[in-house]
Amino acid sequence: MSGNENKPINIAIVGLGGQGVITLAKLIANTNFMLGKKVCYNEQHGLSQRGGSVQSSIRINEADNPLFAAKDTDFIIGLEKLETLRYLYLAKEAKPKVLVSNRYDIRTTSDLGLEMFPESDDIDKEILKYSSATYIFDALGFEASVKSKLKPVNVAVFSVLTTFPELGLPTGKAEDYVMEYLGRNILLKQINKKAFKEGPKWMKKVE
Amino acid sequence: MKAADSKTDIDVVEGEGEEVQLLMGNRAVVQGLLEAKVGLTTAYPGTPSTEIQMQLYKLHQKGQLYFEFSVNEKVAFEIAGAAALSGVRSAVIMKHVGLNVASDSLMALAYFGVIGGMVVVVVDDPGCLSSQNEQDSRFWGKFSHLPILEPSTSQEIKDTIVQAYELSEKYNTIILVRLTSFTSLNTAEVKMKVVEEKLAKDGDFFKDIRYALPARYVLHKGLHAILEQIKEDEDFLGNNELKYGDSISDRLIITQGAIYPMVEYMRNLNNLDIPILKINAIHPLNEKQIGEFLKKYKYIYFVEELESYLESEILSIIGKYNLNLKVFGKEQLAIPEENRILPDVLSEAFKRIATDPNNEEIFKVKPPVPSPYAHVFGRVDQLIPRTIPRLCDGCCHRGAFYSIKRATKKTDIIPSDIGCYALGQVFPVDIGDFWLCMGASIGTAIGFSLTNDKPVVAVIGDGTFFHAGIPPLIDAVLYNHNITVAILNNSLTAMTGGQPTPSSDEKKAKNQRQLDIEQVVRGLGVEYVKSVRVEDTKENTKIFREAMAHEGPSVVIFNGECVVELYRHSLDLGEAPYVDEELCNMCGTCFIEFSCPSIIKKDGQIVIREDTCTACNICVGVCPQTAIIPRKKKKV
Repeated sequence: MSGNENKPINIAIVGLGGQGVITLAKLIANTNFMLGKKVCYNEQHGLSQRGGSVQSSIRINEADNPLFAAKDTDFIIGLEKLETLRYLYLAKEAKPKVLVSNRYDIRTTSDLGLEMFPESDDIDKEILKYSSATYIFDALGFEASVKSKLKPVNVAVFSVLTTFPELGLPTGKAEDYVMEYLGRNILLKQINKKAFKEGPKWMKKVE
Repeated sequence: MKAADSKTDIDVVEGEGEEVQLLMGNRAVVQGLLEAKVGLTTAYPGTPSTEIQMQLYKLHQKGQLYFEFSVNEKVAFEIAGAAALSGVRSAVIMKHVGLNVASDSLMALAYFGVIGGMVVVVVDDPGCLSSQNEQDSRFWGKFSHLPILEPSTSQEIKDTIVQAYELSEKYNTIILVRLTSFTSLNTAEVKMKVVEEKLAKDGDFFKDIRYALPARYVLHKGLHAILEQIKEDEDFLGNNELKYGDSISDRLIITQGAIYPMVEYMRNLNNLDIPILKINAIHPLNEKQIGEFLKKYKYIYFVEELESYLESEILSIIGKYNLNLKVFGKEQLAIPEENRILPDVLSEAFKRIATDPNNEEIFKVKPPVPSPYAHVFGRVDQLIPRTIPRLCDGCCHRGAFYSIKRATKKTDIIPSDIGCYALGQVFPVDIGDFWLCMGASIGTAIGFSLTNDKPVVAVIGDGTFFHAGIPPLIDAVLYNHNITVAILNNSLTAMTGGQPTPSSDEKKAKNQRQLDIEQVVRGLGVEYVKSVRVEDTKENTKIFREAMAHEGPSVVIFNGECVVELYRHSLDLGEAPYVDEELCNMCGTCFIEFSCPSIIKKDGQIVIREDTCTACNICVGVCPQTAIIPRKKKKV
């Protein structure tokens, strides 16, 4: 971390439609906002409901421009492996921290012989090559542990993010906001509270 | 601190009745409309303007103001226009291509002007992320003689909307406010006033001979006069600002409101001590004001998204006043005229801005390969497979497409239309040969049928049919054109997030009558009309063949429910069917022809993914071996 507290922190979140990319962006942005910090984010939905590629960029300590150049990237959060690989060009020069889920959704275009999908291990190697630190979130394990049909991976990942001091997300405030924003009824409150509590358990730093 | 009623934002209370919120640009538009006390609002759904409309729809249901999803943008514009002529502040919201549809009325109403303030909010989609084309709506200003404002940030959007109503009423003219997917989908802090009162739409229309005048060129002249006045208005001109003006540099960057924050970021990233002229009042430009801004500088750099609009406008000012300036535009700075502008797209331009402006060679170099950002659906890298958007797991259109596919030959001509079902063009569904604009499937189908000795089928959704599909169908009836129209009815505008259409039921659209498509089509005089459920693909294939054999226009309406909408009501839609390994002979019908993403190959077997299957059970009827066995389906 540089000594300058007001230096913008540039975060890219990528994933597939329906995984909660935009919601995760809102959680990060609004928690920072509640703490009185400047923050802005954008969303890019590429036909998101149809399994398309979804991306959001957030800048903390910046008021109006959420977009940043590749060489300025501080953090990449990938909720799906292939999408993380797609946006890895953001990392090539900047060498950011990368938090990637172990979910690898091989699309049917592979079965139909239209596309060749890389081996999961090869994606991991690429990510390791271009990140200053890599963190794996065991989304598959987490999902299996959740009994409900609703699998709030994004809330669990948000909880993981509170363990990175540079993102400035104090656990208490972050949890309060999850409850306020995603706790519309008792069931949702329960599910999201549990996800928030257990999230960090499913994260592992790659050494 | 208190919780907001919306799920999006939180509020920090400032002074009395004032607060600061994080607002998406689209939401800031709504806040501006509330603060300007706009009583009547209309729209037709269109991304990237949808969040404005959905918020207005909610406010209408709460009784705060009038809003409707009109049948198309032209009607939406006319409703808002008449309201403004009656003295009521009105707004009409649309995407860039919507303004093409509304333009007939826009061009003429511009002549009359308005009494109550009227603002047209138009949101451009550079990069065509969800549109059939990209176009630069800044040109509408010159074309229609209407002022255009282009705010940069959520805060500016809110303030601009409020100001636009004051200007609109001061000069009795319609004001266009142009956003792009950058400004409309960015979320940032906005200082705002809380408006909770009910906004009335009580007006009083005064009859005026002007409105019936035949020699309208007189009004055209008047419109020019208004533009001359507004050009001198200090509030209007105040939208253009010289940023970092105390720099002693002899260089100046000129940019438009919509991308200013990004341009400023690039300036700072490259440590350039160069001022930026930010132009938010796009049309009309005041030559004197621009001349004043320019006179301190020797070198001018234009950074713009899409067309070189400001470049050519300001070049003509420079020429007219014979200013001795060296100008660098899109060509010299290697900024593309198409697609979105993103920081990495501008990196080459800023490299060039930072170099010696007298080094001619640098500016002659051909533009480099565009940034990988450019291809959202495309291939970023040879090794990375594309993520191709596709019909959802459990999409009802898949059933309709399967029947159409069985009933048609590969050589048949199938124009499709604007909506989710346009994704039918993607292999392996492969239905749809041609894709133009709203409602065009039927009109082009007629043209293809007149000139090709092949069966022609038009595919159109319910919203699009009501929007612009009815006039061409009347044409088909009039001249007995031999086409078959498949109307894919899911009773909502699914692509933009599930807004109501005229065929939505009462549950979806309160206070709205439900139109029966079959009745409408019969009313138009179509003789062969069948309305079917999507699930029975075998029977539907037979019906569709029969429709195609019918001499003259025929219509088959495929009815189903949008699965995203079903999910909004329940997460549990039932249990996935399973494949009986004994019966399955791996023929590939379900997998390739029907092509549901939940049906996958695993260890040499066809398997249905339980985590993604929505139990629509259409595949059950598709399997020739009856190897797909249904389990419990939840009643919806």
